[in-house]
Amino acid sequence: MQANIDLINEPVDKKLLAIEPSYQQIPPGILRRMGKSIRMGVGAALPLISETGSVDGIIMGSANAGMDDCVKFLNQMVQYEEGQLTPGSFVQSTGNVIAGQLGLISKNKGYNITHIHLGLAFENALLDAMMQLNTNPSNSYLVGGVDEISPFHYNIETLGGSYKKEEISNKHLYEANSPGCLVGEGAAMFVVNSQASSSIAKVTAISTLHSTDIELVKQQLKTILQNNLEAGTEIDLLLSGENGDNRTLPYYTACETLLVDDTAVVRYKHMVGDFATAAALGLWYACHMLQKQDVPLQMFKTKSTKTVYRNMLIYNNFKGLQHSFILVSVL
Amino acid sequence: MGVISAIGNSVADNHHALKEGTCGIQRKLDLFPTKYAGVLPFGQVHISTDSLLEKFQINEPGVTRTSLLALHAFTEAITDSGISASDLHELDTALIGANTVGGMCLTDELYNDANKKTDGSDYLSSYDCASVNLFLQKHFQINGVINTINTACSSSANAIMYGAMLIKNGYAKRAIVGGTDSLAKFTINGFNALHILSSDICTPFDEGRKGLNLGEGAAFLMLEKEEEIKGRKVYAELTGYSNANDAYHPSSLSDEGDGPFLSMQDALKTAKLFANKIDFINAHGTGTENNDEVESRAMIRLFGNPPAFASTKGNIGHTLGASGAIEAVYSILSLLHQEVYPNLHFKNAISSTGLKPVQSYTKMPVNHVMSNSFGFGGNCSSLIFSKV
Repeated sequence: MQANIDLINEPVDKKLLAIEPSYQQIPPGILRRMGKSIRMGVGAALPLISETGSVDGIIMGSANAGMDDCVKFLNQMVQYEEGQLTPGSFVQSTGNVIAGQLGLISKNKGYNITHIHLGLAFENALLDAMMQLNTNPSNSYLVGGVDEISPFHYNIETLGGSYKKEEISNKHLYEANSPGCLVGEGAAMFVVNSQASSSIAKVTAISTLHSTDIELVKQQLKTILQNNLEAGTEIDLLLSGENGDNRTLPYYTACETLLVDDTAVVRYKHMVGDFATAAALGLWYACHMLQKQDVPLQMFKTKSTKTVYRNMLIYNNFKGLQHSFILVSVL
Repeated sequence: MGVISAIGNSVADNHHALKEGTCGIQRKLDLFPTKYAGVLPFGQVHISTDSLLEKFQINEPGVTRTSLLALHAFTEAITDSGISASDLHELDTALIGANTVGGMCLTDELYNDANKKTDGSDYLSSYDCASVNLFLQKHFQINGVINTINTACSSSANAIMYGAMLIKNGYAKRAIVGGTDSLAKFTINGFNALHILSSDICTPFDEGRKGLNLGEGAAFLMLEKEEEIKGRKVYAELTGYSNANDAYHPSSLSDEGDGPFLSMQDALKTAKLFANKIDFINAHGTGTENNDEVESRAMIRLFGNPPAFASTKGNIGHTLGASGAIEAVYSILSLLHQEVYPNLHFKNAISSTGLKPVQSYTKMPVNHVMSNSFGFGGNCSSLIFSKV
């Protein structure tokens, strides 16, 4: 994977915007008509499919794919008072548009599904892939998470108090002690299969929870490790979805209290911001760190003396209600 | 099971209406102001949103009609299943729901909030589709895997499939699966812009068909591992399921119908059934020129001589995200009562296929029913239910 994992950009107008490439694999005529989340999703996936060869299915997680086109169509409807409207934005507004476009462009007639369960949309997509592989061990699947900062969705979330009210540099995100996060956007795509020989990392287990009870969250962490790590083995690193929102910080610190000494705690949302499928980017960072056996200094919340990373636990929550744990390991 | 639709507010009511050949589609829409009320036919559920709020004593703000229809069907399903309260709250009880509308049925509120014309309505967290299942999770304290799926018109068929996979792979012992969608100005205008709404009541599989009618409703089913049922009643077995993509066009099916063909073929494979074992197909049959012809051709391609088939969209309209689940309930009713229900409003077969659906209520042996759902994005899903 060629990537500058250490890259931090400043927010623009309190938004950590995605830096888009030139999308050379998307025909210009089609690219022109794509909304941002579709561009990012398709644009991240196509080169990956080219590199790894065709896949047997496409499994997407996205909370607000198509949201922007949805409101564009809505505005058109209001402006023209339900007169004869053009369907372009409507067709692009359906949640399954990214998986649909990918199926279309790559002529993939296999399993095709979109999970939209907000803060667990990506985790459900990953779980779906794991189950599909259990049933079809010789298959491979494209799995991904993508969301954009659609202007309309941003307005709704702003009114709901999701984001920082104050101007803040992402370099000081975690010290702010105020509610709200910095919004981000992006796409992370993975090809998954059952073959260790061609893989970078292994997703050992996933578990999810809907709760506001910190004790239940702690219990969930203990259970996933107990059930999946050999007795006496501990995780080497916790990849925390801490996002600068002081309302959800208690869940992250509670999880940290369960870690044995010399476990690293690493954060990424000062780089990419927070959004419903941010855990997809978390998994991307984890895979990268496991492959290179390296963690950029600026990502550490708690350093450790470790130089070898075997098992990483990604913990994330969305609005303190939807929690997920993903255990990722070297092969 | 639980279901609510334009032909009834319960499984029993829907069953009775299907036998009678009742059409719940009318040129009437009183849920919200739209220039299409009284003009286009719709399959509206005959309970007002306020009555639903009152029936379930919902006092919290921000609960949408989409959620309320789901609540209605969900309540019926879990009551009918006889599941204990403690089992309902177990970590291995999953909830997998589907919908495509979410809170967009509140078109005006969404317009105002999205364009920041207010300080924020009560519905800020209700617009997205996941809000329906988050509402059900909280209302019933469901603590297992929870998920929301949107694959357009095949959404709730995929929800049923995902629930089955969770059980098969040990992530759940039981899954309450289904879908919901309510009528919305947004979808009415969207489908109208695509020129696929009929100005008359829809005529699935008819040569003269002119398009679909939008409907609304919800259905949920309790899926359980056989060992967990412990003497409670069983309606049917989910023996086959599959998902394939047509990969042709965002909003229509290819002439060859590879998506529908593959989805039906793979469902047979997972069920380990030969095509000739299917006694009846609950077709997707929306009444559009494109779907009905392609679905017919795919049925001929797979079955040679297709079994008895019918679409229930002439009874309730196209309920989008709910259709897969509602039609699953209807398929199971056929198995339970050994009967099939008529495809309404049919006159003449599509000339290029010559296929005729079931036209009157018929008692007949039914061991295996296939139910199809084909949607935008080329998303095609097929389920097979078998008699127990």
